[in-house]
Amino acid sequence: MHDPGERALAYAAEDGSFALYNDYRSGKAVLVPVAADPSSSELATLWRTHSGPERPHSLAPAPRVEGYGVFTFPYGPISMGVPESGKFDVRTYGERILGLVPVGGFKSRRIRESVVGLDVRDAALRIERMAGNVSASHAAAFLAAAESAAGREVATVELWIRGLAQELQRIYNHVHVLARIAEAASQNVGLAQSHALAEELLRLQGATFGHRWLFGALLPGGPARALDAPGRATVAREAVRLSREFDQLWALFLESRTFIDRIQTTGPVRRDDAIRWGAVGPTLRACGVDWDDRLRVPTVPYTDLFVSLPREDGGDALARLSVRAEEVRASFLLVEQMLDRWPAAVATVGPAAPPVAPHRGVARVEAPSGDLVYDVRLDGDRVAGLGFRSPSQANWALFARGMRDAVFTDFHFAFESFGLLFAETDG
Amino acid sequence: MIVVPSWIQRAVERGIVTSRYPDRAATADEVPATGRGPCPPHGSEGLRPGAGDCPVEAISPDGVDQGRCIRCARCLPAGFAFSGPVEASVAVRAELISPTLVPAASRRESAPLRPLGCSLHVFLVDVGSCNACNLEVMALANPYYDVSRLGVFFTNSPRHADVLLVVGVPTPEMVEPLKRAFEAMPDPKAVVAVGACPISGGAFAGTPGLAAGLSELIPVDRFVPGCPPPPVAVIDAIVALGGRARAPEEG
Repeated sequence: MHDPGERALAYAAEDGSFALYNDYRSGKAVLVPVAADPSSSELATLWRTHSGPERPHSLAPAPRVEGYGVFTFPYGPISMGVPESGKFDVRTYGERILGLVPVGGFKSRRIRESVVGLDVRDAALRIERMAGNVSASHAAAFLAAAESAAGREVATVELWIRGLAQELQRIYNHVHVLARIAEAASQNVGLAQSHALAEELLRLQGATFGHRWLFGALLPGGPARALDAPGRATVAREAVRLSREFDQLWALFLESRTFIDRIQTTGPVRRDDAIRWGAVGPTLRACGVDWDDRLRVPTVPYTDLFVSLPREDGGDALARLSVRAEEVRASFLLVEQMLDRWPAAVATVGPAAPPVAPHRGVARVEAPSGDLVYDVRLDGDRVAGLGFRSPSQANWALFARGMRDAVFTDFHFAFESFGLLFAETDG
Repeated sequence: MIVVPSWIQRAVERGIVTSRYPDRAATADEVPATGRGPCPPHGSEGLRPGAGDCPVEAISPDGVDQGRCIRCARCLPAGFAFSGPVEASVAVRAELISPTLVPAASRRESAPLRPLGCSLHVFLVDVGSCNACNLEVMALANPYYDVSRLGVFFTNSPRHADVLLVVGVPTPEMVEPLKRAFEAMPDPKAVVAVGACPISGGAFAGTPGLAAGLSELIPVDRFVPGCPPPPVAVIDAIVALGGRARAPEEG
């Protein structure tokens, strides 16, 4: 008998044909062919709202908060505090946040619907623009799901390019989160130096993949295919330098008592809430749960490499930021290993997973903010249906819970530490 | 035991990293080529024929529409790439359609917002972007671009803004908030469409329900092509509106 407390829903297909669960006790992903009834699961219902046609919509359950002087303070959809368009309905009496409901759907470019009928090559151009700062994860998951649906073999070097792109982008995103939190804490010197490091990482991506945001880099024919031994050595040298820069920055931030004060105990997430609401990525690992797709549902190249699994137990913004900092180090090591053991261009491997149904493939990758699931149905070479569950979707409910009883000034520290993106929620 | 230098020590060791743009031409680091080498002119053998292969229908007999192009490089043979000049913002949409992939060098200048070239306050509105343009605009504040040296400042309210930077393809949900932000701005004011999405819909052009461009909704004073445009191109647009545009020195 499994303990339901250690099993979390990872993905529920919209047509109800299957559901994916993570079993944290055994460290295995479980695919249930016909979900009992996804409509009965509160979480599946919430995720279905995210992808539904009704816009704007709530991204987390609304708490019932009433009392003397309590009102709803709308924050957004345009606000300079959050760099994207999205809204937060804050229940408050003026000082304390009694309840918070993120509202999404403002940025929906209708990607889920508009890629249907396009061939995989054209669809990928829109998928990688789902969220530009995590484009490599979306493109890699989509391409892997399409390959699984078609049962197509892939050149090993293509998978390594996807891995390298994802690790570089993970480092960039974690450093970006650090810069945003430094900005919220008014640590202006730290902000300038981490912001500069983020720019250097973008330039490294631009030099390696021909695009600062990796658009087109994972599609066949991109410039990274020409990575020869001297080219790889240049990237490796730059990675070592940037890694040292990051270590210095992180050590200096940890010495700043005022910085730590702002994030310690901020936006707390309890372990059982994290499992119940399907938290993923650094949010989950900061609650002491061991789960990383690169280890638990590994694909090439991670099957050949050493992947460490940083974990914290605090569940607060500090724990999440510490997990991210450790992951930056781990990703730099992965980049080094990859460049060192770059495969020959001729070898091919089969798709990562067999199709879940005829012409239907599912793929999971560990995006910077956590597990990303793509579910692709193909008709020949054309996309016949698309489903996905982004890490942001999974973490909104935890952010909303973590904000209860916080004060307004905690908002940005908590928000940035989850790494939430409206872009990949709205689709 | 690792010896960690202090913040100040690090700052001194690293020195000044800030770009000299627009007084000097942008460097290769500031304008990374998209793809693999210099781009051939339109109509030459280098450019793959057949506009049908272009996913955003940017190629026509008139030339390449920079406002539609998303730099996917599919039209280019292996070994070529986009590497146009970056002083690429234009005041008139039609100027983005050029016979070469490089925008025409002779551009019509915008009338400056303030004749004496005062400082400008800019406000960012995202009407449905992928975040790449948002982050490229935010990068203007990092030490590499540091637009405060040009008298350009980010503001937190449209009521304090001279320039509205719009990123993303306008979704139906963002039309009303966008118009209200625009109306809240005091005169004189200007609007910059940053990236292919607000110019033409970019990669999402043709999706039912989405506006085909920002010009359908509010008047646009400056167009910055790219997917996303490099930060220096956004600087070019803001500086042109500030009445400080001048030819950069080489070097």
